[in-house]
Amino acid sequence: MNMLEIKNLHASVEGKDILKGINLKINAGEVHAIMGPNGSGKSTLSNVLAGREDYTITEGSVTFGGKDLLQLPAEIRACEGIFLSFQYPVEIPGVSNMVFLKAAINAKRKHQGQPEIEAVDFLAWVKDRVKKMSMDIKMLQRGVNEGFSGGEKKRNEILQMLLLEPKLMILDETDSGLDIDALKIVAEGINTMRSPERATLLVTHYQRLLDYVKPDFVHVLAGGRIIKSGGPELARELEEKGYGWLDAA
Amino acid sequence: MLNNITTALEALPALPAPRRAALDALLKQGLPGKKDEDWRHTDLSILDQLSAADIAPSALNHDYPSAYEDGLDALNTALSGGTQTRTLEGKVELDTGLHQRLKLKVSGDVELVLQDITPSRFATFFAEIEVAPNSRLRLLRVQQADSQAQRLTNLKILLARDAQLDAVTVDLGGRFVRNDLYVHLNEPGAGVQLYGLYAPTGSEHVDNHSWIHHRAPHCSSREFFRGVVSGSARAVFNGKIFVHEKAIKTDSETRVANLLLSKTAEVYAKPELEIYNDDVKCAHGATFGQLDEDAVYYLRARGLDRDMARALLTQAFAQEIIEHISNDELREKITQRFLSRLPQGNTSGKA
Repeated sequence: MNMLEIKNLHASVEGKDILKGINLKINAGEVHAIMGPNGSGKSTLSNVLAGREDYTITEGSVTFGGKDLLQLPAEIRACEGIFLSFQYPVEIPGVSNMVFLKAAINAKRKHQGQPEIEAVDFLAWVKDRVKKMSMDIKMLQRGVNEGFSGGEKKRNEILQMLLLEPKLMILDETDSGLDIDALKIVAEGINTMRSPERATLLVTHYQRLLDYVKPDFVHVLAGGRIIKSGGPELARELEEKGYGWLDAA
Repeated sequence: MLNNITTALEALPALPAPRRAALDALLKQGLPGKKDEDWRHTDLSILDQLSAADIAPSALNHDYPSAYEDGLDALNTALSGGTQTRTLEGKVELDTGLHQRLKLKVSGDVELVLQDITPSRFATFFAEIEVAPNSRLRLLRVQQADSQAQRLTNLKILLARDAQLDAVTVDLGGRFVRNDLYVHLNEPGAGVQLYGLYAPTGSEHVDNHSWIHHRAPHCSSREFFRGVVSGSARAVFNGKIFVHEKAIKTDSETRVANLLLSKTAEVYAKPELEIYNDDVKCAHGATFGQLDEDAVYYLRARGLDRDMARALLTQAFAQEIIEHISNDELREKITQRFLSRLPQGNTSGKA
């Protein structure tokens, strides 16, 4: 089933064109990887899908589950099942992870017309997922990402993803700044979530994460366009040859 | 000027000579004006808007001093009927909704809550508190008067050897509010920790002035204020630390941080230092800013709507002060009051 359809998407920031005609279809159950050099528009694409308002959409359309995604504010997209794992998760001192996670889960439940989650159920559920991500349970009392290392922040993103159970998982450079152990934990978290109802968009510069999370499709983004698409073998080719050879192609 | 005060006092059943003298001193000295540096942003002429009935002076008479420091001192004496002296023990609550002039003595461990019990349009609350050696005063002043109310408070706290003051002050209301706080660290080992939150909204005006005097060696002071200013409200903060010549090994820090939630909100915040010896450690700083838009986006990307995201971040900012209130019930009430006054209303993500 078609989940996300991006058609001829153009986006600019402060008058500068970043995305110059993206076309991409993602079906439920599929894992797509978008690879590309720095400055190719990878993070812009992730944030445009998540609803960041710093970008101007100049042309094109995006539908998600049949709805016009670009008309929805960021929080509705989240409640409808889009999850962006941030490249640089924000530190929010004074708001504990516990308060934050509960607010996020209840926002989604409210959107779906469900009652707020029971405190006891919530705690047990969160604790289980925290362990799964090999995180210290004490983190729940700490401020959101406050004083977290780069690896801890990325694990916290995946923890939120496990709890919010999105339909479309967009992972923006989730592998950057991770040592090999943290990378395995993060990859395992992503793989746990793979299901025929969910889709994944891995946005990455390196092939490293793709050794652990096997994509069905690989796309190369350069200069704001997808210039090549293929299977998993394309990632390996990129790792060996770099991005230079594609310019000529 | 001040006709309303005169009328209100002359309407009392009796006006003894020393109380009449207080009124005369007020009329002679007048109130501080905008040329006075400490009153640059706070205009006392607003007192003229009160009717004689709003003034509501106390009908009681107590002890009267022979001289007055200034017009405000005389004003408070005339309205309160002079000084009452009390020794405080254990937990005490005093009413800041009435004109009062108090001389309080603290020894041992005392918990003092100052808040409005009597709702009133206008009140002047002046207190001098002596804290005995090795004693601890835990003070909570909560001001949540209605949007018409005018409040003048003046607290002078004198700390003896190894005495400690742990104070939290919260201003969540009032049309016109001026709080003066003097702390005198008079003997070695005395210390003060002061946390303050002011959050005026609408057309409220809240001014917190403080003077912390280090008069003896080995004293410490910590002063942390946070302001959340919205609507067309105006907040003033002035925190001055004096380190006197004898006060070597002084350890002092003053920080004030402000969050402006609207374009029409105003804040004047100034920490000041005046130091007369060079064996001290003093730090101070002031910041002003808006909500972190990256944090708002992050929360929205997790499903919280914009108002909720803003409320959560604003609450987190104020929490740094509110969390120092040791009384659980009051802390919860103050948190709710704080949230209910935010422009987007009460939409917190409760724990």
